[in-house]
Amino acid sequence: MATRGAPIESLQRVPLFADLGTRDLQRIARLFKPRRFASGETVIKEGSGGSAFFVIEAGEATVFLNGRKRATLKPGDYFGEIALIDTGTRTATVTAASDLVCWGLTYWDFRPVVQANGRIGWKLLQGMATLLRAAREG
Amino acid sequence: MSRVVPLAKARDERLFGSKAVGLGQAIRDGLPVPPGVALSGSIVEAVAAGEESAIREVVQWAKPLGGPLAVRSSAVDEDGASASFAGQHLTLLNVPSAEALNSALSEVWWSANSDSAITYRQRVGLFTRPSVGVVVQVLLEPESAGVMFTRNPVTGTDERVIEASWGLGEAVVAGLVIPDHYRLDRTGLVLERKPGLKKIAVRRAPIGGTVEEKLPRELVERLCLTHDQLQDLNRLAGRCDEVYGPARDIEWAIAGGTLYLLQCRAITKSGI
Repeated sequence: MATRGAPIESLQRVPLFADLGTRDLQRIARLFKPRRFASGETVIKEGSGGSAFFVIEAGEATVFLNGRKRATLKPGDYFGEIALIDTGTRTATVTAASDLVCWGLTYWDFRPVVQANGRIGWKLLQGMATLLRAAREG
Repeated sequence: MSRVVPLAKARDERLFGSKAVGLGQAIRDGLPVPPGVALSGSIVEAVAAGEESAIREVVQWAKPLGGPLAVRSSAVDEDGASASFAGQHLTLLNVPSAEALNSALSEVWWSANSDSAITYRQRVGLFTRPSVGVVVQVLLEPESAGVMFTRNPVTGTDERVIEASWGLGEAVVAGLVIPDHYRLDRTGLVLERKPGLKKIAVRRAPIGGTVEEKLPRELVERLCLTHDQLQDLNRLAGRCDEVYGPARDIEWAIAGGTLYLLQCRAITKSGI
Protein backbone atom coordinates (compact mmCIF):
# COMPACT_ATOMS: atom_id res chain seq x y z
CA MET A 1 0.00 0.00 0.00
CA ALA A 2 1.25 3.44 -0.85
CA THR A 3 2.35 5.47 2.14
CA ARG A 4 0.95 8.97 2.34
CA GLY A 5 -0.13 11.50 4.89
CA ALA A 6 0.92 11.96 8.49
CA PRO A 7 2.37 9.16 10.62
CA ILE A 8 -0.34 8.03 13.05
CA GLU A 9 2.13 8.48 15.92
CA SER A 10 2.06 12.21 15.17
CA LEU A 11 -1.72 12.32 15.49
CA GLN A 12 -1.89 10.05 18.54
CA ARG A 13 -0.20 12.72 20.64
CA VAL A 14 -2.76 15.34 19.58
CA PRO A 15 -5.53 15.51 22.24
CA LEU A 16 -8.15 16.00 19.52
CA PHE A 17 -7.42 12.58 18.05
CA ALA A 18 -6.22 10.75 21.17
CA ASP A 19 -9.44 8.75 21.70
CA LEU A 20 -9.61 7.36 18.18
CA GLY A 21 -8.85 3.75 17.32
CA THR A 22 -5.98 2.83 15.02
CA ARG A 23 -8.18 2.25 11.98
CA ASP A 24 -9.86 5.67 12.26
CA LEU A 25 -6.50 7.31 12.86
CA GLN A 26 -5.00 5.65 9.79
CA ARG A 27 -7.90 6.85 7.65
CA ILE A 28 -7.59 10.42 8.91
CA ALA A 29 -3.77 10.46 8.79
CA ARG A 30 -3.85 9.81 5.03
CA LEU A 31 -5.69 13.09 4.52
CA PHE A 32 -3.01 15.26 6.13
CA LYS A 33 -0.33 16.94 4.05
CA PRO A 34 2.99 18.29 5.26
CA ARG A 35 3.64 22.00 5.13
CA ARG A 36 6.79 23.83 6.12
CA PHE A 37 7.10 27.45 7.17
CA ALA A 38 10.29 29.44 7.63
CA SER A 39 10.91 31.17 10.93
CA GLY A 40 8.97 34.45 10.97
CA GLU A 41 6.57 33.40 8.24
CA THR A 42 2.85 34.05 8.74
CA VAL A 43 0.96 30.76 8.83
CA ILE A 44 -2.56 32.16 9.17
CA LYS A 45 -3.68 35.78 9.34
CA GLU A 46 -6.48 37.24 11.43
CA GLY A 47 -9.36 38.34 9.20
CA SER A 48 -8.48 36.08 6.25
CA GLY A 49 -10.66 33.19 5.13
CA GLY A 50 -9.60 29.80 6.49
CA SER A 51 -8.39 26.97 4.29
CA ALA A 52 -6.80 24.44 6.62
CA PHE A 53 -6.39 23.17 10.13
CA PHE A 54 -2.82 22.49 11.30
CA VAL A 55 -1.12 20.16 13.76
CA ILE A 56 2.44 21.10 14.70
CA GLU A 57 4.96 18.33 14.05
CA ALA A 58 8.14 20.26 14.84
CA GLY A 59 9.04 23.80 15.83
CA GLU A 60 7.06 26.50 17.60
CA ALA A 61 4.45 29.04 16.57
CA THR A 62 3.18 32.23 18.18
CA VAL A 63 -0.48 33.24 18.38
CA PHE A 64 -1.35 36.94 18.12
CA LEU A 65 -4.77 38.44 18.78
CA ASN A 66 -5.27 42.04 17.70
CA GLY A 67 -1.50 42.32 17.39
CA ARG A 68 -0.84 41.13 20.95
CA LYS A 69 1.01 37.90 21.68
CA ARG A 70 -1.36 35.46 23.34
CA ALA A 71 0.22 32.01 23.28
CA THR A 72 3.07 29.81 22.07
CA LEU A 73 2.21 26.57 20.31
CA LYS A 74 4.48 23.50 20.38
CA PRO A 75 4.59 20.08 18.73
CA GLY A 76 1.26 18.28 19.23
CA ASP A 77 -0.69 21.56 19.46
CA TYR A 78 -3.22 22.38 16.78
CA PHE A 79 -4.76 25.57 15.41
CA GLY A 80 -6.92 26.94 12.61
CA GLU A 81 -10.09 24.94 13.31
CA ILE A 82 -12.44 27.83 14.15
CA ALA A 83 -12.62 29.38 10.67
CA LEU A 84 -13.21 25.93 9.21
CA ILE A 85 -16.15 25.25 11.52
CA ASP A 86 -18.13 28.39 10.64
CA THR A 87 -16.41 29.16 7.26
CA GLY A 88 -15.76 32.59 8.75
CA THR A 89 -12.50 34.48 9.01
CA ARG A 90 -9.41 33.59 10.99
CA THR A 91 -9.76 34.77 14.59
CA ALA A 92 -6.03 35.05 15.26
CA THR A 93 -2.69 35.40 13.50
CA VAL A 94 -0.19 32.58 13.87
CA THR A 95 3.44 33.02 12.87
CA ALA A 96 6.30 30.55 12.85
CA ALA A 97 8.51 31.28 15.87
CA SER A 98 11.11 28.89 14.45
CA ASP A 99 11.29 26.78 11.32
CA LEU A 100 7.95 25.05 11.54
CA VAL A 101 6.72 21.72 10.21
CA CYS A 102 2.97 21.19 10.30
CA TRP A 103 0.49 18.62 9.09
CA GLY A 104 -2.39 20.39 7.34
CA LEU A 105 -5.93 19.18 6.82
CA THR A 106 -7.93 21.33 4.40
CA TYR A 107 -11.52 22.42 4.96
CA TRP A 108 -12.67 19.90 2.35
CA ASP A 109 -11.24 17.02 4.40
CA PHE A 110 -11.66 18.49 7.88
CA ARG A 111 -15.43 18.86 7.68
CA PRO A 112 -16.25 15.23 6.70
CA VAL A 113 -13.74 13.96 9.28
CA VAL A 114 -15.46 15.90 12.07
CA GLN A 115 -18.94 15.01 10.82
CA ALA A 116 -18.05 11.32 10.80
CA ASN A 117 -16.33 11.25 14.19
CA GLY A 118 -18.40 12.25 17.19
CA ARG A 119 -15.38 12.02 19.47
CA ILE A 120 -13.52 14.66 17.48
CA GLY A 121 -16.67 16.80 17.33
CA TRP A 122 -17.10 16.55 21.11
CA LYS A 123 -13.49 17.58 21.75
CA LEU A 124 -13.89 20.52 19.41
CA LEU A 125 -17.02 21.54 21.34
CA GLN A 126 -15.07 21.33 24.59
CA GLY A 127 -12.38 23.52 23.07
CA MET A 128 -15.00 26.04 21.92
CA ALA A 129 -16.54 26.10 25.42
CA THR A 130 -13.13 26.80 26.93
CA LEU A 131 -12.58 29.65 24.49
CA LEU A 132 -16.02 31.07 25.21
CA ARG A 133 -15.40 31.04 28.95
CA ALA A 134 -11.99 32.63 28.49
CA ALA A 135 -13.52 35.35 26.31
CA ARG A 136 -16.28 36.05 28.88
CA GLU A 137 -13.75 36.29 31.66
CA GLY A 138 -11.72 38.73 29.58
CA MET B 1 -6.55 6.09 -16.29
CA SER B 2 -3.24 7.88 -16.70
CA ARG B 3 -2.51 10.55 -14.12
CA VAL B 4 0.32 12.04 -16.21
CA VAL B 5 0.26 12.61 -19.98
CA PRO B 6 2.34 14.51 -22.52
CA LEU B 7 0.79 17.96 -22.94
CA ALA B 8 -0.37 17.09 -26.45
CA LYS B 9 -2.58 14.37 -24.96
CA ALA B 10 -4.20 16.51 -22.26
CA ARG B 11 -7.86 16.54 -23.30
CA ASP B 12 -9.96 16.22 -20.15
CA GLU B 13 -10.34 19.47 -18.17
CA ARG B 14 -11.84 17.60 -15.21
CA LEU B 15 -8.53 15.72 -14.85
CA PHE B 16 -5.86 18.15 -16.00
CA GLY B 17 -7.44 21.61 -15.75
CA SER B 18 -8.11 24.21 -18.40
CA LYS B 19 -4.55 25.47 -18.78
CA ALA B 20 -3.17 22.02 -19.59
CA VAL B 21 -6.01 21.18 -21.95
CA GLY B 22 -5.74 24.59 -23.63
CA LEU B 23 -2.01 24.05 -24.24
CA GLY B 24 -2.70 20.48 -25.40
CA GLN B 25 -5.20 21.86 -27.91
CA ALA B 26 -2.62 24.41 -29.04
CA ILE B 27 -0.05 21.68 -29.71
CA ARG B 28 -2.61 19.56 -31.58
CA ASP B 29 -3.40 22.61 -33.72
CA GLY B 30 0.26 23.20 -34.51
CA LEU B 31 0.86 26.22 -32.28
CA PRO B 32 4.38 26.66 -30.88
CA VAL B 33 4.26 25.48 -27.26
CA PRO B 34 7.33 24.47 -25.19
CA PRO B 35 7.40 20.70 -24.50
CA GLY B 36 5.83 19.50 -21.29
CA VAL B 37 3.62 17.12 -19.39
CA ALA B 38 0.22 17.52 -17.72
CA LEU B 39 -0.32 16.21 -14.21
CA SER B 40 -3.83 15.41 -12.99
CA GLY B 41 -5.23 16.90 -9.80
CA SER B 42 -5.17 13.49 -8.13
CA ILE B 43 -1.46 12.88 -8.68
CA VAL B 44 -0.55 16.41 -7.56
CA GLU B 45 -2.54 15.88 -4.35
CA ALA B 46 -0.85 12.49 -3.85
CA VAL B 47 2.58 14.12 -4.24
CA ALA B 48 1.56 16.86 -1.79
CA ALA B 49 0.57 14.10 0.65
CA GLY B 50 4.01 12.53 0.26
CA GLU B 51 2.91 9.40 -1.62
CA GLU B 52 6.17 7.90 -2.82
CA SER B 53 4.74 6.01 -5.81
CA ALA B 54 3.19 9.25 -7.10
CA ILE B 55 6.49 11.11 -6.69
CA ARG B 56 8.31 8.36 -8.62
CA GLU B 57 5.71 8.46 -11.40
CA VAL B 58 6.02 12.23 -11.81
CA VAL B 59 9.83 12.12 -11.85
CA GLN B 60 9.79 9.36 -14.46
CA TRP B 61 7.56 11.42 -16.77
CA ALA B 62 9.35 14.72 -16.27
CA LYS B 63 12.92 13.46 -16.51
CA PRO B 64 13.05 13.39 -20.34
CA LEU B 65 12.22 17.11 -20.35
CA GLY B 66 15.59 17.82 -18.75
CA GLY B 67 15.72 21.10 -16.92
CA PRO B 68 15.21 23.72 -15.79
CA LEU B 69 11.44 23.47 -15.60
CA ALA B 70 8.44 25.75 -15.27
CA VAL B 71 5.71 24.46 -12.95
CA ARG B 72 2.33 26.12 -13.44
CA SER B 73 -0.97 25.39 -11.73
CA SER B 74 -3.78 24.19 -13.95
CA ALA B 75 -6.59 23.95 -11.44
CA VAL B 76 -9.79 22.60 -12.85
CA ASP B 77 -11.83 25.77 -12.40
CA GLU B 78 -9.14 28.42 -12.88
CA ASP B 79 -8.92 30.60 -15.98
CA GLY B 80 -12.66 30.47 -16.55
CA ALA B 81 -14.44 33.40 -18.10
CA SER B 82 -15.76 34.50 -14.70
CA ALA B 83 -12.71 34.01 -12.47
CA SER B 84 -9.01 33.94 -13.30
CA PHE B 85 -7.43 33.10 -9.90
CA ALA B 86 -4.66 35.43 -11.07
CA GLY B 87 -2.06 35.65 -8.33
CA GLN B 88 -3.74 32.95 -6.24
CA HIS B 89 -2.32 29.80 -7.77
CA LEU B 90 1.43 29.56 -7.83
CA THR B 91 3.75 29.34 -10.81
CA LEU B 92 7.29 28.21 -10.00
CA LEU B 93 9.97 29.00 -12.53
CA ASN B 94 13.40 27.45 -12.83
CA VAL B 95 12.79 24.27 -10.87
CA PRO B 96 16.22 22.74 -11.52
CA SER B 97 15.24 19.16 -12.39
CA ALA B 98 12.54 16.49 -12.25
CA GLU B 99 13.87 15.37 -8.87
CA ALA B 100 13.04 18.78 -7.41
CA LEU B 101 9.40 18.57 -8.50
CA ASN B 102 8.26 17.00 -5.23
CA SER B 103 8.48 20.18 -3.16
CA ALA B 104 7.47 22.39 -6.10
CA LEU B 105 4.23 20.46 -6.59
CA SER B 106 3.52 20.57 -2.88
CA GLU B 107 3.90 24.37 -2.95
CA VAL B 108 1.60 24.69 -5.94
CA TRP B 109 -1.00 22.42 -4.31
CA TRP B 110 -0.92 24.46 -1.10
CA SER B 111 -1.19 27.72 -3.05
CA ALA B 112 -4.58 26.56 -4.33
CA ASN B 113 -5.52 25.53 -0.79
CA SER B 114 -4.20 28.64 0.93
CA ASP B 115 -6.26 31.05 3.00
CA SER B 116 -6.11 33.68 0.24
CA ALA B 117 -7.22 31.21 -2.44
CA ILE B 118 -10.12 30.09 -0.25
CA THR B 119 -11.10 33.71 0.40
CA TYR B 120 -11.08 34.32 -3.36
CA ARG B 121 -13.19 31.19 -3.94
CA GLN B 122 -15.76 32.39 -1.43
CA ARG B 123 -15.81 35.84 -3.03
CA VAL B 124 -16.42 34.59 -6.59
CA GLY B 125 -18.90 31.90 -5.57
CA LEU B 126 -16.62 28.93 -6.31
CA PHE B 127 -16.46 27.52 -2.81
CA THR B 128 -15.66 24.00 -3.94
CA ARG B 129 -12.74 21.67 -3.39
CA PRO B 130 -9.96 22.67 -5.80
CA SER B 131 -8.55 20.00 -8.09
CA VAL B 132 -5.03 21.21 -8.75
CA GLY B 133 -3.72 19.95 -12.07
CA VAL B 134 -0.25 21.14 -13.01
CA VAL B 135 1.64 21.80 -16.22
CA VAL B 136 5.37 21.03 -16.15
CA GLN B 137 7.26 22.50 -19.10
CA VAL B 138 10.77 23.22 -20.21
CA LEU B 139 11.61 26.73 -19.02
CA LEU B 140 12.65 29.01 -21.85
CA GLU B 141 15.32 31.67 -21.60
CA PRO B 142 13.55 34.39 -23.59
CA GLU B 143 15.00 37.53 -25.10
CA SER B 144 11.60 39.14 -24.60
CA ALA B 145 8.18 38.10 -23.39
CA GLY B 146 4.84 39.45 -22.29
CA VAL B 147 1.11 39.34 -22.79
CA MET B 148 -1.19 39.93 -25.74
CA PHE B 149 -4.94 40.49 -25.90
CA THR B 150 -6.53 39.50 -29.19
CA ARG B 151 -9.15 42.18 -28.57
CA ASN B 152 -8.66 45.41 -26.62
CA PRO B 153 -9.57 44.43 -23.03
CA VAL B 154 -10.43 47.99 -22.01
CA THR B 155 -12.35 49.42 -24.95
CA GLY B 156 -13.48 46.19 -26.61
CA THR B 157 -12.08 47.47 -29.94
CA ASP B 158 -11.20 44.77 -32.45
CA GLU B 159 -7.41 45.21 -32.25
CA ARG B 160 -4.41 43.43 -30.74
CA VAL B 161 -2.93 44.88 -27.56
CA ILE B 162 0.60 43.72 -26.72
CA GLU B 163 2.68 44.43 -23.63
CA ALA B 164 6.30 43.33 -23.72
CA SER B 165 9.53 43.48 -21.78
CA TRP B 166 13.00 41.94 -21.74
CA GLY B 167 13.59 38.47 -20.28
CA LEU B 168 10.92 36.30 -18.69
CA GLY B 169 7.32 37.46 -18.95
CA GLU B 170 6.92 37.57 -15.16
CA ALA B 171 8.27 41.13 -15.26
CA VAL B 172 5.11 42.09 -17.16
CA VAL B 173 2.66 39.76 -15.42
CA ALA B 174 3.80 40.79 -11.94
CA GLY B 175 3.90 44.49 -12.83
CA LEU B 176 7.63 44.84 -12.14
CA VAL B 177 8.18 47.09 -15.16
CA ILE B 178 6.24 49.53 -17.27
CA PRO B 179 6.17 47.39 -20.41
CA ASP B 180 6.32 48.48 -24.02
CA HIS B 181 2.77 48.93 -25.30
CA TYR B 182 1.71 48.13 -28.85
CA ARG B 183 -1.60 48.15 -30.69
CA LEU B 184 -2.09 46.44 -34.05
CA ASP B 185 -5.12 46.02 -36.24
CA ARG B 186 -6.01 42.59 -37.56
CA THR B 187 -4.02 43.12 -40.77
CA GLY B 188 -0.87 43.71 -38.71
CA LEU B 189 -0.82 47.47 -39.20
CA VAL B 190 0.89 48.95 -36.16
CA LEU B 191 -1.43 51.58 -34.64
CA GLU B 192 0.69 52.44 -31.61
CA ARG B 193 4.24 51.76 -30.38
CA LYS B 194 4.93 53.17 -26.94
CA PRO B 195 8.22 52.38 -25.18
CA GLY B 196 7.93 51.46 -21.52
CA LEU B 197 10.32 51.93 -18.63
CA LYS B 198 11.97 48.54 -18.21
CA LYS B 199 14.55 48.93 -15.50
CA ILE B 200 14.83 45.23 -14.74
CA ALA B 201 14.50 41.87 -16.45
CA VAL B 202 13.47 38.67 -14.69
CA ARG B 203 15.99 35.93 -15.47
CA ARG B 204 16.74 32.41 -14.32
CA ALA B 205 18.80 32.33 -11.12
CA PRO B 206 21.79 29.96 -11.05
CA ILE B 207 20.46 28.15 -7.95
CA GLY B 208 16.84 27.87 -9.08
CA GLY B 209 14.04 30.40 -9.00
CA THR B 210 14.45 33.78 -10.64
CA VAL B 211 16.31 37.02 -10.12
CA GLU B 212 15.55 40.59 -11.06
CA GLU B 213 18.50 41.76 -13.15
CA LYS B 214 19.13 45.47 -13.51
CA LEU B 215 19.15 46.39 -17.20
CA PRO B 216 21.72 48.59 -18.91
CA ARG B 217 20.52 52.13 -19.46
CA GLU B 218 20.21 51.76 -23.23
CA LEU B 219 17.64 48.95 -22.91
CA VAL B 220 15.34 50.67 -20.42
CA GLU B 221 13.37 52.64 -23.00
CA ARG B 222 14.34 50.73 -26.13
CA LEU B 223 11.44 48.89 -27.77
CA CYS B 224 11.96 45.18 -27.25
CA LEU B 225 9.97 43.94 -30.28
CA THR B 226 10.87 44.36 -33.94
CA HIS B 227 8.33 44.89 -36.71
CA ASP B 228 8.72 41.26 -37.80
CA GLN B 229 8.16 40.02 -34.27
CA LEU B 230 4.98 42.11 -34.04
CA GLN B 231 3.78 40.46 -37.25
CA ASP B 232 4.55 37.02 -35.77
CA LEU B 233 2.52 37.95 -32.70
CA ASN B 234 -0.39 39.15 -34.84
CA ARG B 235 -0.35 35.83 -36.71
CA LEU B 236 -0.29 33.97 -33.39
CA ALA B 237 -3.28 36.05 -32.23
CA GLY B 238 -5.13 35.11 -35.41
CA ARG B 239 -4.39 31.41 -34.91
CA CYS B 240 -5.49 31.60 -31.27
CA ASP B 241 -8.74 33.26 -32.39
CA GLU B 242 -9.27 30.37 -34.82
CA VAL B 243 -8.44 27.64 -32.31
CA TYR B 244 -10.01 29.03 -29.12
CA GLY B 245 -12.46 31.71 -30.28
CA PRO B 246 -12.29 35.50 -29.95
CA ALA B 247 -11.10 37.70 -27.07
CA ARG B 248 -8.11 35.78 -25.73
CA ASP B 249 -5.51 36.72 -23.14
CA ILE B 250 -2.18 35.24 -24.26
CA GLU B 251 1.16 34.88 -22.56
CA TRP B 252 4.04 34.51 -25.00
CA ALA B 253 7.84 34.50 -25.14
CA ILE B 254 10.48 34.83 -27.83
CA ALA B 255 13.49 32.58 -27.22
CA GLY B 256 16.28 31.94 -29.69
CA GLY B 257 14.33 34.02 -32.18
CA THR B 258 11.29 31.71 -32.01
CA LEU B 259 7.87 32.81 -30.74
CA TYR B 260 6.25 30.50 -28.18
CA LEU B 261 2.75 30.40 -26.75
CA LEU B 262 2.86 29.93 -22.97
CA GLN B 263 -0.78 30.36 -22.07
CA CYS B 264 -4.07 31.29 -23.71
CA ARG B 265 -7.24 31.99 -21.77
CA ALA B 266 -10.43 33.99 -22.05
CA ILE B 267 -10.17 37.68 -21.21
CA THR B 268 -11.79 38.01 -17.78
CA LYS B 269 -12.10 41.78 -17.41
CA SER B 270 -13.03 43.69 -20.48
CA GLY B 271 -15.37 46.22 -21.86
CA ILE B 272 -16.58 43.80 -24.52
